[in-house]
Amino acid sequence: MRGLSSTLRMIDWTGWLGAGIVLVMVCAAIFAPLIAPYDPVALSIEDRLLAPDMAHWLGTDQAGRDVLSRVIFGARASLAVGIGAVVIGALIGVSAGLFAAYKGGLGDQIVMRIVDGVASIPLLVWAIAIVGILGVGPVRVGPLLLPNEIKIVLLVGVLFSPVFARVTYAVASRVVGADYVRARWLQGATHWDIVSGDILPNCLSPIIVQGTLLVAIGIVVEASVSFVGLGVQPPQASWGSMLSDARSAIYSGEWWLPVFPGLAISITVIGFNLLGDAVRELFDPRSEARTLVA
Amino acid sequence: MTGPILSLRGITKSYAQGTAFDRLFGRDKRFVALAGISLEIARSDVVGIVGESGSGKSTLANISVGLTRPTSGEVLLDGEPLSALMRDHGGPWRRRIQMAFQDSSSALNPRKSVSRCLTETLALRGVPKPEREAEALAMLALVGLGAELAPRLPHELSGGQRQRVGLARALAMKPDILIADEPVSSLDVSLQAQVINLLSRLTRELGLTLLFISHDLALVRTLCSRIIVMRKGEIVEQGPCLDVLDRPTHPYTQLLIAAVPKGIKGRRQQAATVDIASPISPARESAG
Repeated sequence: MRGLSSTLRMIDWTGWLGAGIVLVMVCAAIFAPLIAPYDPVALSIEDRLLAPDMAHWLGTDQAGRDVLSRVIFGARASLAVGIGAVVIGALIGVSAGLFAAYKGGLGDQIVMRIVDGVASIPLLVWAIAIVGILGVGPVRVGPLLLPNEIKIVLLVGVLFSPVFARVTYAVASRVVGADYVRARWLQGATHWDIVSGDILPNCLSPIIVQGTLLVAIGIVVEASVSFVGLGVQPPQASWGSMLSDARSAIYSGEWWLPVFPGLAISITVIGFNLLGDAVRELFDPRSEARTLVA
Repeated sequence: MTGPILSLRGITKSYAQGTAFDRLFGRDKRFVALAGISLEIARSDVVGIVGESGSGKSTLANISVGLTRPTSGEVLLDGEPLSALMRDHGGPWRRRIQMAFQDSSSALNPRKSVSRCLTETLALRGVPKPEREAEALAMLALVGLGAELAPRLPHELSGGQRQRVGLARALAMKPDILIADEPVSSLDVSLQAQVINLLSRLTRELGLTLLFISHDLALVRTLCSRIIVMRKGEIVEQGPCLDVLDRPTHPYTQLLIAAVPKGIKGRRQQAATVDIASPISPARESAG
């Protein structure tokens, strides 16, 4: 194993920048109530549309709410959807990819063709269409009442799963043929032990890289869905809905309304992309390929 | 048990060739890897299988342990059909037959230490947990490796060390029969000699039945008591090793023997026979 210090030295400054951005955003999301100077949903008519100053660093919106506080609280929705969708997508996709690669034959064909089918669904269009059909209110699934955010996480997660399935499948089908897997099978190890102990650990690095990069796309999807009013519902803050609310302000000169949530989205997405690239370099310094999704 | 420990009856293996389009119009051909192999391996025998690349040696090995299903025919392990035994995937019969692999770089899980690799094998053999560590070290010692290698990961071992850990893993199941598929072809000559000497010692000391697959006639000559010559999925000649190699009757065997360059053959034999003590003498250990 490489030592920790030499491993960290392999990360260049862009990687550290990405990690720093991600860390700041995650802290903002977790500690939002402690950091935010104002209540993000508190209305104040006399404070409406104030330009950035010492009291309101990023100004206030049409309802007199503090933009900085709303940007900080908006990180919660963005990261929750981005990370939640990646976790769901990884659970489904990695299982499917492992199953197909390990099982082979007809099972492999069936699973991977289903994956192809799901992958052919344009992510954003379907996310908007399905939430549009189901409505933005909570949906009852059996005994569970799913709030809109969970619905979006599940939906985006399912639509992310083909990426994980294909990455896992590509690596796992090579690992499955390795002699150490065959040796374990000859010893009579259970399929579960072989898959979880020998195959999955040797597939993890590209899965982690892919997951980091997909968080960025999840954030964009959340912003887009909220932008068209199908995501996080007002008065809760979300970068996408803040941008949407700011449309009317673009021509009237309140530049701070669109700029700051827009910057928050861009910087966070860049942060996850830089981090993902750094993680990729870490796992495989030879890899030049960039994976493009959505 | 007096019968053969392993017998193969009319084993054939063929693979579909050509595209789905060919198959649709009945124009597909089947590639025949094994064309009806029957053989019997007696207990404690050391049998070499030789033949050129593509002669079906590895397919035969894979079928013998159940990694590949034969197209037709039957493998009997101590008289019991392998196909029936395999329904009990993790059953005690797994202890009877094990395999050592050719490629030392893929034989070990890169993320598992030597000790973990061996202890999890011992767990499957049913060794109680407190005894596993000591037993793993004993297995390492058996293949001439020191206890200091136990915490290492495969990439921290040399090719020869990895190959011997792979061997230790197969032996940790306490098999009655070991199938070694080109166990030394990825090693350089001095490491080859170490592993061959080790195998030879194990067969003598443990009474292990060994099926040694190789394309190297000199190694087979050193190690084996019987030899089976294969060509294009068929057995062309078999018998006591020295008889066959000194007085080959089949033209293909004669060709194989003639194809061994004289100089190299002599040197190989030397390397394999002279240093009998080398794998277990730490002074000659090749590290790194």
